Amino acid sequence: MALKLNVNGRDVEADVAPDTPLLWVLRDHLGLTGTKFGCGGAYCGACTVHVNGSPVRSCQLPVSGATDAPITTIEALEAAHPELLDVWVKNNVAQCGYCQSGQLMSAAALLEGNASPTDADIDAAMAGNLCRCGTYVRIRAAIHEAAAQRTGGNAS
Amino acid sequence: MNAITNLSPDLSRRNFLGVSGVFVLGACLPSCARTPAPPVATEPFVPNLFLALEPDGTVHVTAHRSEMGQGIRTALAQVVADELDADWSRVVVDQADGDAKYGDQNTDGSRSILLNYERLRTAGAAARMMLRQAAAQHWGVGVDEVEATNHEVIHAGSGQRLGYGDLAGIAATLPVPEDPPRKSEAEHRYIGKHAVHVDAADIVRGKGTYGADFLMPNMATAVVVRCPWLGGGVKNILNKPNTAPGLLAIEILDPSASAGPVFNPVGGVAVVADDTYTAMRIARDLEIEWADSPNQTFSSDALQEELRKALTQPGTPVPNAEKGDVDAVFAEGMTELSATYETPFLAHAPMEPPVAIADVSGGMCVVHGPFQDPQSARGLVAAWLGYEPENVTVTPTLLGGAFGRKSKPDFGLEAVELSKRLGRPIRVQWSREDDIRHDYFHASSAQYHRAAIDERGHPKAWLERTAFPSITTVFDGGATMPADWELEMGFSNLPYTVENQRMEFAGLRPGVRIGWMRSVCNIFHAFSANVFADEMAAAAGRDPIEHRLEILPASGVLKVPGMQPPEGHGQDVGRLRHVIERVRALSEWDRPRPEGTGLGFAVHHSFRSYVAVVLEASVANGTPTVSNAYVVLDCGTYVNADTCVAQMEGAVVFGLSLALLGKIDMADGVVAQSNFHDYPLLRISEAPATSVELVPAQGRLPAGVGEPGVPPVAPALVNALFAATGTRHRSLPIKVA
Repeated sequence: MALKLNVNGRDVEADVAPDTPLLWVLRDHLGLTGTKFGCGGAYCGACTVHVNGSPVRSCQLPVSGATDAPITTIEALEAAHPELLDVWVKNNVAQCGYCQSGQLMSAAALLEGNASPTDADIDAAMAGNLCRCGTYVRIRAAIHEAAAQRTGGNAS
Repeated sequence: MNAITNLSPDLSRRNFLGVSGVFVLGACLPSCARTPAPPVATEPFVPNLFLALEPDGTVHVTAHRSEMGQGIRTALAQVVADELDADWSRVVVDQADGDAKYGDQNTDGSRSILLNYERLRTAGAAARMMLRQAAAQHWGVGVDEVEATNHEVIHAGSGQRLGYGDLAGIAATLPVPEDPPRKSEAEHRYIGKHAVHVDAADIVRGKGTYGADFLMPNMATAVVVRCPWLGGGVKNILNKPNTAPGLLAIEILDPSASAGPVFNPVGGVAVVADDTYTAMRIARDLEIEWADSPNQTFSSDALQEELRKALTQPGTPVPNAEKGDVDAVFAEGMTELSATYETPFLAHAPMEPPVAIADVSGGMCVVHGPFQDPQSARGLVAAWLGYEPENVTVTPTLLGGAFGRKSKPDFGLEAVELSKRLGRPIRVQWSREDDIRHDYFHASSAQYHRAAIDERGHPKAWLERTAFPSITTVFDGGATMPADWELEMGFSNLPYTVENQRMEFAGLRPGVRIGWMRSVCNIFHAFSANVFADEMAAAAGRDPIEHRLEILPASGVLKVPGMQPPEGHGQDVGRLRHVIERVRALSEWDRPRPEGTGLGFAVHHSFRSYVAVVLEASVANGTPTVSNAYVVLDCGTYVNADTCVAQMEGAVVFGLSLALLGKIDMADGVVAQSNFHDYPLLRISEAPATSVELVPAQGRLPAGVGEPGVPPVAPALVNALFAATGTRHRSLPIKVA
């Protein structure tokens, strides 16, 4: 059965079983491989996308639960958050980079709701995103810097 | 896209050349006629394996090492581009297949720069020399009159200049110099500087190609259900579906015999489907009866008990390690200290689970995936298929973390076997559960230290014993004992001054596959030695850093028993002392911390580098918190300064994960843990603020960066918690009661 989705501003169809996790629809059926498979259990956050603007672990969301809401993936993050991508690159935040799609999606969602997050805000919002390379201190710094850019100030 | 920033470009020199060029040009007109540019080349200029210059000026650097977050694709290109004096914005990095022509491609042991630094400098410098010669020949002037800088060759005398690409055709006709002039350290414009990683811009857009992102036409995806214990074959599939939507095949893969041969797949039932989720769902529902194997009785608790027992009796002595008479000193009745330290099995758990794509067709095999050593993978694939290596191509994708796991291409061989059987490209996708349960585990271990100390805490006699299941048990079905290179990782090369010393070791065969994980045996050897040294200081009421400096030799390169370091890479005590002094300053060691907060120190030489760590920690509500980490790294000559800092930051997190959280248990041959809920990793809220200091290169040989930061972290934490609470933790992971 073809399910209708709205992904990155485009209406698309996917002929999959309704219980298929959104992650695998994005990756295997829509060719959007920027969203990563890390654990399949919502423990690691590598698969984080936005559904209706909120960060969601797409490995645990059946695609049938995402048919009525706009979905944004890492491939479309730049349009709304160029500053996040810039600071991430400039500061060499990524090491292997595999978790960074998820990190960026969680960071973007944080900044949408909180223009000037504190360290504690960042820790809370990013708690679901593991990084085995250990890029956490740079993620924290980069979010502060991006927040400052968005609010027109300078990073501390 | 390659961006490089903050490079402090040599503006004064560039301006000088520009101004002088214009000046000279103006002075000699009209007598200096301009030579027309050479015809545009039709082929790239390829002076060696690592560099190709397109007629349009694009420089391709071939990275023959695998990228797994250590920034090696960037660093290799920085070295070549620097000696070439290329414009960094015109450099692209191509990934090499596995091929013996590159020499060693085994991306582990923190030695990519150590092995390739001079070779890549020469590659870049040779091309630069040839471009100068090409321009000189074209202009009819002496080669000494032309200079190559920032992608141009310039003749100051006539003011003429040609881009590198313009010279590709002529340069390609010239002989390659074997010993071209290379830059001095002061002339380096990319080496030793900050560079943004070449893949960074792709990664943040979701465009980086990792193992599972590489696609082939007509590809199907396989998920393999493996026997819970090592070596058990498939006896029966109790509910094998005949058909299911999307199901293509169910294939039985035989297990390799016991723990060897080395990297062969463990076997199991492969579910091949149109897409990943279909394969996973069908695989999840299979009920399989497994055959018995001798590993079915393996228990990590029982192994640990055996390791502890081994430490209570004399082990095998490290050859030529005995000094003085340890027993005689112990009989003298001095203050004695003894302790046993234990560390558990660990899983690598890279964020990207193992995955590979293979296409076996027409007598050829093509494999793509996150391989740390595509060259050895190529050989293993060729052997598996009975093909000549020339008919096998193994190309690394980006590795979504590896830490040693992806040196073992068992997952690639699964894809090869299935593609051979099904006659189409097959992707084998491991789940996280597969990854945790079927790892090549970091060995569990135990160490026993006993020392007789004087009133200053200085050891007069020191007996150290180590016991662990060796990595060699995977390579050799009869091996039981640790290898000399495992002992050289922090055990046989203990740096402290002690007149009476004995080093003994023991080993056991485990019922699981042992592998090398980031920092390998240094993890447990640095742990026990650094905590024991801290215990000596504490027993004498001494400052741990002051005490440590006292028990180290004053200077010089250590003479060590056992395996010897490579030429020029002996452990230099002066450098060890320097990183200790620097971390004392960086951490403001003498500044009083709040009540209940402690500082802990550790230092370790590994992968030919020197790292000292101070951690600031406290315990609240039974939970240890690390508030600050201070790290000083001396890795000799380094290529990307920022990468070195990042690797130390990451090492702190990796080290804290294993110090506080990591433990793999096996019972009845089955791994108890399966995913990040029961094999947790450090999260952002637990990551300390981290300050890193890099010791200047000073023309020293390049050494390791990816691994040496990890070993001092766990002992620094134990020592900090002792300073904070008075409780000494001697087993990992640390459990605060």
